[in-house]
Amino acid sequence: MADEYILEMNHITKMYGSNAVLKDVSLKIRPGEIHALLGENGAGKSTLMNVLFGMPVIHTTGGFEGEVLFNGSPVSISSPIDAMDKGIGMVHQEFMLIPGFSVTDNIKLNREIARPWPISKILGRDLEFLDREAMARDARNALDDVGMNIEEYTLVSGLPVGHMQFIEIAREIDKTGMKLLVFDEPTAVLTESEAQQLLEVMKSIAAKGIAIIFITHRLDEVMNAADSVTILRDGQLVSTFPKKETSPAQLAAQMIGRSSESVIQIQKRDTEVEDRPVMRIRKLWVNMPGEVDKGIDLDVREGEILGIGGLAGQGKIGIPNGVMGLYEAIGEVEFEGKKLPLGDAGTVLKAGLAMVSEDRRGIGLLLDQSIENNIVFTAMQVNGDFMKGFLHQKDTRKIRKYAEEMIRELDIRCTSPAQPTGTLSGGNQQKVCVARALAMNPKFLFVSEPTRGIDIGAKHLVLETLVRLNREKGMTIVMVSSELQELRSICDRIAIVAEGKVVDILKTDASDTAFGLAMSGVRSEEGGCA
Amino acid sequence: MSEQNKETRSPRARIVSIVLFILAGILIISSVGGYALQMTQDSKNSLEEMKTQAVLHAASEGLINSIAQQARAEKLAELRKDKNFRKRGLDEVNAICDGAMNEARAEAERLYANPVVQDQTALNSAISSYERALAESSSMSEKERSVFAEIYVQLVDNTSDWRTIAGTDVDDDAVLRAMGETAPDLLKDENAHLQAGFVQLARDQAKAQQEREDAALETQLKSLLASEIPDWTAFAGLEADALWVKLCEEIPELKDEERFRDTLIQTAGEYIAATEKGEAVSAPAEAEEGSVTVAETQADYRYFTPSEALQKEESEESDSYEQLYSQLVAVIPDLGTLSDKLQTSLRENIEKVLWLEDDSFSARYSMYTANQATGGTWKMQLAAVAKPLMLAGTAVLLLGLVILFWKPLTERFGVPRTIIALFFIFLCLMAELYNISVRMMLGNVFERMTMYGVLVLAMMPGIQCGIGLNMGMTIGCISGLLGIVLALQFNMTGFPALLFACAAGTVVSLPLGWAYSKLLNRMKGNEMTISTYVGFSFVSLMCIGWMMLPFNNPKIVWLLSGKGLRVTHSLLGSFAHLLDNFLAFRIFGIKVPTGGLLFLGLCCLAIWLFSRSRLGIAMTAAGSNPRFAEASGINVNRMRTVGTVLSTIIAAMGIVIYSQAFGYAQLYTAPRQLGFIASSAILIGGATVSKAKVSHVLIGVFLFEGVLVFGQQIANSVVAGGGLSEVMRIMISNGIILYALTQSGGGRRG
Repeated sequence: MADEYILEMNHITKMYGSNAVLKDVSLKIRPGEIHALLGENGAGKSTLMNVLFGMPVIHTTGGFEGEVLFNGSPVSISSPIDAMDKGIGMVHQEFMLIPGFSVTDNIKLNREIARPWPISKILGRDLEFLDREAMARDARNALDDVGMNIEEYTLVSGLPVGHMQFIEIAREIDKTGMKLLVFDEPTAVLTESEAQQLLEVMKSIAAKGIAIIFITHRLDEVMNAADSVTILRDGQLVSTFPKKETSPAQLAAQMIGRSSESVIQIQKRDTEVEDRPVMRIRKLWVNMPGEVDKGIDLDVREGEILGIGGLAGQGKIGIPNGVMGLYEAIGEVEFEGKKLPLGDAGTVLKAGLAMVSEDRRGIGLLLDQSIENNIVFTAMQVNGDFMKGFLHQKDTRKIRKYAEEMIRELDIRCTSPAQPTGTLSGGNQQKVCVARALAMNPKFLFVSEPTRGIDIGAKHLVLETLVRLNREKGMTIVMVSSELQELRSICDRIAIVAEGKVVDILKTDASDTAFGLAMSGVRSEEGGCA
Repeated sequence: MSEQNKETRSPRARIVSIVLFILAGILIISSVGGYALQMTQDSKNSLEEMKTQAVLHAASEGLINSIAQQARAEKLAELRKDKNFRKRGLDEVNAICDGAMNEARAEAERLYANPVVQDQTALNSAISSYERALAESSSMSEKERSVFAEIYVQLVDNTSDWRTIAGTDVDDDAVLRAMGETAPDLLKDENAHLQAGFVQLARDQAKAQQEREDAALETQLKSLLASEIPDWTAFAGLEADALWVKLCEEIPELKDEERFRDTLIQTAGEYIAATEKGEAVSAPAEAEEGSVTVAETQADYRYFTPSEALQKEESEESDSYEQLYSQLVAVIPDLGTLSDKLQTSLRENIEKVLWLEDDSFSARYSMYTANQATGGTWKMQLAAVAKPLMLAGTAVLLLGLVILFWKPLTERFGVPRTIIALFFIFLCLMAELYNISVRMMLGNVFERMTMYGVLVLAMMPGIQCGIGLNMGMTIGCISGLLGIVLALQFNMTGFPALLFACAAGTVVSLPLGWAYSKLLNRMKGNEMTISTYVGFSFVSLMCIGWMMLPFNNPKIVWLLSGKGLRVTHSLLGSFAHLLDNFLAFRIFGIKVPTGGLLFLGLCCLAIWLFSRSRLGIAMTAAGSNPRFAEASGINVNRMRTVGTVLSTIIAAMGIVIYSQAFGYAQLYTAPRQLGFIASSAILIGGATVSKAKVSHVLIGVFLFEGVLVFGQQIANSVVAGGGLSEVMRIMISNGIILYALTQSGGGRRG
């Protein structure tokens, strides 16, 4: 029994302050098994892995509850190095390779094979000679194991991205005594054939008796490679079962889960919004780091609230940023029948579009300036509002009046309109961002992650404001959010983006399965309401 | 909010500050006690007693010294008569003479050191009547001398060509009239007694100028000989007259310079001799013009004539001295034996001990204790230290307050500004302690503020547009200098010259600033390094440029080669001090450079208005958050260009203002450090590398110059000797820069 599982994590609970990110989660992995770990962003996968690797962030925030058994005996892993010594390895999502070193050097980094000589015996191991031949031999073996036929002496810097992932894996399996490997979304940056190859490599590694924890969003990969599956949601264990007993639809439904209550209660629209597109996006490619879009096609109807959902890093945030000209983009965007230039924020703003950015502190605000200056800034620059006089000075009185109006309307909690925005809470900062967009009197509003990092009260107010603007002023709103519940409460339609493309456009009352499948890039029969 | 502040004050800080308050209380109370003691009749009596003692001491000391010196001289004369004198070593002779001198001194001290005063009241009244006369004549003389000095400085600072004013063919009245144009005060009736002196001054200056120019011309002519005549052998053996004629044939210019005939013939003779020996003919080296260290003009009192009233006061003073002297002779009869020379020095000594610059109780007391082996009573001691006690008490009180309110203070003003401001207050207290006139130094600080203000202002658009500290402002400075030398090239003077220099500097700095900003836009994130590099290399590049540019006005190019600009150009006669003297007035003895302050104010106003315009707001946003600005459709690179060009243009104007206040324009490597000075000043004012306001500029330049001026003066007083002040200047200014730069890290953009 003791040897049945290589790793047992029992009843793990982790609190950050009073906020539980892991609640009584257990994970059991057999030797030679590929165990898929599924969950939405923020479900607790990373935290669980941090616990496993003894990351400092866990220790410095008060440790965790529960026990970890490795090889049948309780262990306390104090640091990532400790984890490595015990035989637990990690293949990182971002490559941790030194570009200027050769493949061999990277694989054997800090584990070099060295020959002692007299001086090194006196002055220590650091001065030993490298046994390059032995190192190259080891590297070759490891590369062969992962099915790479590149030469071991080439420099990493010139290699394609896909190869780097394999070198990373080769480095891990070259470590002797490796018993458990964690793959953190290894296929995210790979082409389809590379991904296929990687899955084969994983299987062959597993066949040698090394257990694998496979973190991914792609359900087809799970179905292809995994032996068993564990699903986390909101820090809780949803279920663990062998792959044979499940289907992608079930997995998707369990990942999303249905929390029946809406975030806010609003009057749903009686009739569907007419299919009269105000904005047409065709073949939009956006080069936003971490949120790349690869050919978005999307129509936005006049007067609707369109939600854009999807997992993090899949490209949903790239859409507003691309259209508004904040990141390099190519493709076609038409607004009210006229073509919008890409990469020219000024013209887009002038055309009547506005955006509330997801990067509140980075792009959304001038943190060292007052609330009033922030609110009127864009309107002043783009439309020349709030100016007066022969010398074309800013109209302090008018600005103050408008800012006070906005502060009342959006309930911004502040000491005065002159308070610097850097000292406001997240929710109030978000309201200032909304106020700045509104000062433009836009016809069309992009709202990107409006509720990220703000408290529940502010969340309600922001969402209600959006609905009010939509209903009362007829403003077309496109809201991008990672929180599906939020989108389902206020949107008319929800587009799901995966891997840089719009997979499906769903009604708010579509099933969890449909949403779950769409998020992992699969279009279900329910979808296609557009 | 206030509750929060209370919490942030730690109990330890509170205890420390309470202890300091108690200490300050003790110090201040005892100081008040000391001042009260000074008021009492007791100490008034002892003050009188101390004065008497001082006078007697001066008298007896003079006598004793004279006797000792005489004894030494006699011994030396006696030794000289001895025929073995030459065999003795110098040391031995000295030892013998010193022995005799010390013997005589001991004897004299026994006799005279403690003179017994018979008629104390008569002596006292003689002393006080002399003191009164001295005070009256001194204050009058000081007043007249200051009037003299003012006219003198005005004249010397603003006259570049003395020969036209006081040529040999100009009569005295004309000289006076010409000088009256520069210094109208001279022609006033009450200053009639000074006029003769100033005419003499003008004549002397004209003569000196003529001599200088002749010397330069002579050197030039000699080198002309060396360079124009290839073969001297043809001249060999010629008589002087024939030689001159032949020389004039070869070099026609010589005909006009008959004055130098003899010297040139002599030089030609030397050249001929050298050629015959087979040596190369070498022209005399032209005097290198070094970098001028500009000192403030000091009045030369040899040209001062006292007025009749003053002469009368002075004769009264002499009378009362005679009375005092007779009293002294009554006490020490042997005073009469002193030689005339020693009599004069005795009078000077007595004047010195009675007419103290710092006429305070403590100064008297320290003089008294220095002469007297025994100390005074405790009351006198306390009275003497009243002032230091008061200053120390104030310092401790301030320290306590600062410790108590450290948190709110630093939150409001930032750590660097607080510390520098405290240091400044500390320096003011020190200045008071060392009797340095704070008022005078404040005047000095204001003058320097107008000098550096615009340069520091140039930092502001740079910081606002996001390129950080614009160390490359030297590009603007050099453009401005180019404007100045252009104005000099065209012999422009007055306001047209100033305006032309500004305008030309602006025109030159526009394209340079634009190109510089393009470079900076390609190097985002490394602006500080790049701008420092660019600044330095542009200075070096222009070191070549100043040599190559085709300027040809003989006033500004090197004398010998006739091309290449000189290092230092005097702006006297062009626009030196033009702005500073515009509407300038004196208040509390401080000269207020109205024009300079007005110009600085105007520039600040313009920048302030700009920062409230749409463009200015966009520029500031582009600097503080480029992504934000981009999202609002602002072209960040364009805004950075606007800021950089603006900064460069202001720097060009700044150097023109700086040069007019300085009185000189310095080329070549001189502008290299300006970027550092300006950036440390604005950082001290409270700006960070990403945020700056006009108030930061004004506060910064005041604190920076204040600390510099005060620190230098105090260093001079604490450690006497000239060398330290320069070391201190470098240490203080670089220390401030270093400190400000380390502190600026906190405001770095994240």
